[in-house]
Amino acid sequence: MAFALQATGITKHFPGVLANDHVSFTLEKGEIHALLGENGAGKSTLMNILYGLYQPDEGEIMIDSQPRRIDTPHDAISLGIGMVHQHFMLVPPLTVTENIMLGQESIQASSRVLGKLAVLNRRSVTERIYELSQQYGLEVDPEAVVQDLPVGAQQRVEIIKALYRAADILILDEPTAVLTPQEADELFIIMRNLVNQGKSIIFITHKLREVFAVADRISVMRAGQVVGTVKPSEATQEMLAEMMVGRKVILQIDKADAHPGEVVLSIDGLQVMDDRRHMAVDGVSLAVRAGEILGVAGVQGNGQTELVEALTGLRHPLEGRVTILGHDTTRATPRQIIEVGIAHVPEDRQKHGLVLSFSVRDNLVLCTYYQSPFAQGIELNFPVIENFAEELVHTFDIRTPSLETNVGSLSGGNQQKVIVARELARQVKLLVANQPTRGLDVGSIEFIHRRIVDARDKGAAVLLVSAELDEIMSLSDRIAVMYKGRILDTLEGKSAAREQLGLLMAGVTKEVAHV
Amino acid sequence: MSTTTNTTGRIRRTGLRGTWWVTALMIAFGLFTIWGLLSLVIRGHGVCGQKCILDTLNQMFRVATPIAFAAFCGVMCERSGVFNIGIEGQMLMSAMVCYAVNLFSYQGLKNVMDPAAAGDMSRWLALVAGVISAVLLGSLHAVVSIKFKVDQIISGTVINILAIGITGYLYRQFLAENLPPGPGTFPIFNIPLLSKIPILGPIFFEQKPLTYLMFILTFVIQYVLFFTPWGLRTRAVGEHPRAADTLGVNVHYMRYVDVLAGSAIAGLGGAWFTLEAVDVFNPLMTNGLGFIGLAAMIFGKWTPFGSLLGALIFGLGSSVTSTVSIFRPDIPSQFPQMLPYILTIIVLTGVVGRATPMAAGGKPYEKQ
Amino acid sequence: MSNAPVAAERPTSSFRISLLRLWDAFKMPALAILSAFILGGIVILITSGKPLTVLQAYFGLVQGAFLNQRAFSETLVKTTPYILLSLGVGVGFKTGLFNIGVEGQFYIGAVSAAWVGVLFPGLPAIIHLPLALLAGVIGGAIWAAIPGYLKARTGAHEVISTMMMNYIAFRLQEYIVTWLLKDPSAGLVQSPPVAKAAEVWTLYQIPVRLQDPLNALGVALVFAIIALLIARWALGTPRLREQVETAGQRRIVYLVVGVLVFLITFFGLPAFTRVWWPFTDPYDRMHIGLFIALAVSVGVWWLLWKTTLGFEMRTVGANPSAARYAGVSITRNIMVAMALSGALAGLAGAVEVLGVTTCRCVQVSFISGYGWDSIGISLLAKNNPFGIIAASFLWGAMGNGADFMELNSGVSKYIISLLQGLVLLFVAAPAIVRWIFRIRAERRPEEEVPLTHWEVK
Repeated sequence: MAFALQATGITKHFPGVLANDHVSFTLEKGEIHALLGENGAGKSTLMNILYGLYQPDEGEIMIDSQPRRIDTPHDAISLGIGMVHQHFMLVPPLTVTENIMLGQESIQASSRVLGKLAVLNRRSVTERIYELSQQYGLEVDPEAVVQDLPVGAQQRVEIIKALYRAADILILDEPTAVLTPQEADELFIIMRNLVNQGKSIIFITHKLREVFAVADRISVMRAGQVVGTVKPSEATQEMLAEMMVGRKVILQIDKADAHPGEVVLSIDGLQVMDDRRHMAVDGVSLAVRAGEILGVAGVQGNGQTELVEALTGLRHPLEGRVTILGHDTTRATPRQIIEVGIAHVPEDRQKHGLVLSFSVRDNLVLCTYYQSPFAQGIELNFPVIENFAEELVHTFDIRTPSLETNVGSLSGGNQQKVIVARELARQVKLLVANQPTRGLDVGSIEFIHRRIVDARDKGAAVLLVSAELDEIMSLSDRIAVMYKGRILDTLEGKSAAREQLGLLMAGVTKEVAHV
Repeated sequence: MSTTTNTTGRIRRTGLRGTWWVTALMIAFGLFTIWGLLSLVIRGHGVCGQKCILDTLNQMFRVATPIAFAAFCGVMCERSGVFNIGIEGQMLMSAMVCYAVNLFSYQGLKNVMDPAAAGDMSRWLALVAGVISAVLLGSLHAVVSIKFKVDQIISGTVINILAIGITGYLYRQFLAENLPPGPGTFPIFNIPLLSKIPILGPIFFEQKPLTYLMFILTFVIQYVLFFTPWGLRTRAVGEHPRAADTLGVNVHYMRYVDVLAGSAIAGLGGAWFTLEAVDVFNPLMTNGLGFIGLAAMIFGKWTPFGSLLGALIFGLGSSVTSTVSIFRPDIPSQFPQMLPYILTIIVLTGVVGRATPMAAGGKPYEKQ
Repeated sequence: MSNAPVAAERPTSSFRISLLRLWDAFKMPALAILSAFILGGIVILITSGKPLTVLQAYFGLVQGAFLNQRAFSETLVKTTPYILLSLGVGVGFKTGLFNIGVEGQFYIGAVSAAWVGVLFPGLPAIIHLPLALLAGVIGGAIWAAIPGYLKARTGAHEVISTMMMNYIAFRLQEYIVTWLLKDPSAGLVQSPPVAKAAEVWTLYQIPVRLQDPLNALGVALVFAIIALLIARWALGTPRLREQVETAGQRRIVYLVVGVLVFLITFFGLPAFTRVWWPFTDPYDRMHIGLFIALAVSVGVWWLLWKTTLGFEMRTVGANPSAARYAGVSITRNIMVAMALSGALAGLAGAVEVLGVTTCRCVQVSFISGYGWDSIGISLLAKNNPFGIIAASFLWGAMGNGADFMELNSGVSKYIISLLQGLVLLFVAAPAIVRWIFRIRAERRPEEEVPLTHWEVK
């Protein structure tokens, strides 16, 4: 059995955390090895070590059975290791060709003497890209500018970038996070293709389903350690989930039936442009009632971000109307909309949801500091604020050394809890939750899901936007699928099938399918 | 600008604005308007004939020179992701050092060679010294913002304050009085055949060396940025340093070298003040031209040719108002003097088009 | 793992925590200043060749700043504009804005105050002085609000636009003094001196000024207001809050305090100062502007940390995106911060013209240079109002002592600007100072590197 890569005893410390704890991992030649684990388990750290972005504190790596040092990505590349990161490492304003040749530029031979100031030879790279594209079935246009490419195409560029550097070992870090189920299937075909031509692939994911579709072996990581390595034929989803989390996991949240009341949020023919002057939301109409959860499913980049921004007053729509509880909030300011009764858990908790350098206490009153009783006129009333903050920390079980601690030192799960606590502590009529559990561990995910359902049971209308289909299916009473700025269809939560949703997310509607 | 996108994402630019002949038309239109305004303002007080117009245009290039160099420095630094607002201080420092070295080396050299040659030599020596001093200040900015990850605006401000302090101190201590006569500034160099061309000759080809260098540098920087591996890496590092890092590009090294190269250019800009413009130094002589250069850079969307155009616009504004004040001494001089600064603010507000800076500009890069 | 709290041993007394925090806050700036002086000493040594010169220079500095006759007063006189200007810069910084236009706003404030001081010759001081100061405040505020508006609406970067406004201000002030507000009888090009009633009082003048009953009225009002504010604060402390519970009781306290202080001041102070008043040197330039500056510092501190407006401004400065998402209006806060910043700078200019200049006028060659210094002071003090007072005092001392230093040692007084630049450098890059003094960066438990940075984002 030839091993492409063997890692033994890899250990890596970060301040306060043991990210990898004597991890051992092997990759056979010509196999697809899935690395499974929840957020924070240490998978990315291990891969970054293999790619030379981090250095391990202990441990040994062998490539083709030779011990090797991988100190920089340069070393990794020359050893034939290529990595496709979860967040693409592409420079948006440059073309595909320029991105692919970056760091390994080819120059016109006649100007070689000028070294780094020689003339770039774009044509030879472009030709090579066409070659690779044919060989591996990866369709790309080398002259396109990366920021105009759809996500699937960008991913193909990343793969070609690795192949251009003669990678034999490919590491794919959560590649399906940005793909529809159909696109994910296409990716699996590409992966099989690559493996048939002699490559070996490490495939990182936290989605249980996928590993059965494509993996030859599955390793599960938890809390920095490899908990086990199994073959797909020997495992079940429940078994893997338990290995990932360390206890029995309820894969489906337990929720009562919805009793929808009056319409709280009504969106009519909304059209919203994005920053690059493309129509991101193209005529969306939907309604959410009190006491129900409407899930908006769809791969990121289909207008969900702009839709939420329009709802919360952060972006003015071009056309259309938004009505919340009878108030026309189409052109209202964020503060006015908050006062009508909206609670918003934003997509990016560190950039949009929290002020990392402020204390936990300050973040908990970030939206309400100006209202009585937190302030009298212009003056802040600190004793009242402190009490309020203490209560919230207690109720929401936010783990923090003190109220004065900078929120930036909390873990991701606790940071999200601060946001959720702050938003739900108000009298919430409409909760807009955008990717509320991204990057969180299972415990936090369960907690937040519970809170969302509680809010619904207390009579709030909930608009849940998420790229995780499992989350949508588990929580939603109704599911709307968004594709290229339009709602293609709205289904009942209980009866919606994965297949169906997947097709819709890829833009395939019933009419088209029948033709 | 309109674009079409097909399934693989290729963009074809089908709009008007980017084409060169539209830009040329706009420039011609602008010049015509200014000539019209000029005539209007000086009507009844004299006539600005051909010589007067040619002189004004010639002066435009001269005045634009330090602004263009400042803009080029800004381009080199910001393209790699480092904001440098200390350009003003670097130019001031270079101006002083050039003045001092010019003066004192002349004293030494004129004893060993004939005065004319000594003058030439001391000026070139001074130029080199000025460039070095700007590079030293720039390396301070680079170390403080790249290695110590201090906020780049603060770091640039500190450079400015330091420059004012150092030049003020050294000036009072050594340069304020009892100075021997120096060799003067660079003479105008008429390019042999080309300066005889009617109209274009007196405008373009009767300039001092640094102005010629400004033209050359425009092409050089354009080439480096868009046609070489160095430029490709620089641009990548300024937009998405982590992507470049994962491909083995050394982000910090690129930034250091780019900032130092830019600083050298700023040194050339500073040299203009005391080696080409006037033969004295006074402590606040840069007059905000470093900042105007930054505005020209933004106007030019961080490209060398665009920056040159921006610098020329300011130069034109400046030279036209000084021509006007010759004919109209009754207008208080303060108002024309305000014009370049007001123009800068107008440019900044994006009336002339919004510009997006480098995505990673101003952010220190953390290797994780 | 990611939920486990990091346990920490904490000292039990909150007083000790405050003391430790104070030491931490002062440590780095103090070391920065020390390093700058050491480096400066080396420069003096090199340029003069004699170690004695270094000692003469630094001793001369101290003597000139504090010990010579009237030196301490002069230091305080120089401190005042620094306090106000640095507060202006600091308020901007806290909101994420680099207002380097304080110099220009200072000029505009000076000119505005001078103009109002020259108009209305008959007004009594109780109206004219506050009016003139207000003119300075408004002038500075408008001058800063323009780039503020441009930033809020168009994103024009305020570093460049405020810098440009500086140069426009220099020219504008020149123009006004040369053409519009020119004093025909003066030898130099300058504005006419302001009315006596508009002048900022020097401490020496106070007994005489207080003879005018209107002035005494004004002063009594001011004292009464201050007394009321102190009473309000005192009633808010836990101990007193229990004793004075109802709103009615509070009102009685306020009434008593206010009336009492007013009466004592109005009737007692003029008589008292006639009998005994320590400031008897007519050449002593110390003026009440210092107290205005101190009061304003307290006001700025209160605004930034105790009010909703201050909370908003700090939020915008710390994370504008999150501020927007939380409903804070970025546009409004940028405008308010810039206007406030300019107002403070304008006030500094007004006080300078009305209280410090010998002619009580604006001369065409009015150059201050305070602006760049105040940026440095604000950075040194980390934008904290009380730190600003301390740092301003340091700068004022250095500026004042420099003349005597030059006399005493022959070292050019402009080495002060070199020293100040160095202090700034070391403050901006504390790592350099740490490296020099081999201090390791301490990590207190709650400030550890966040646990999230390596998680899958």
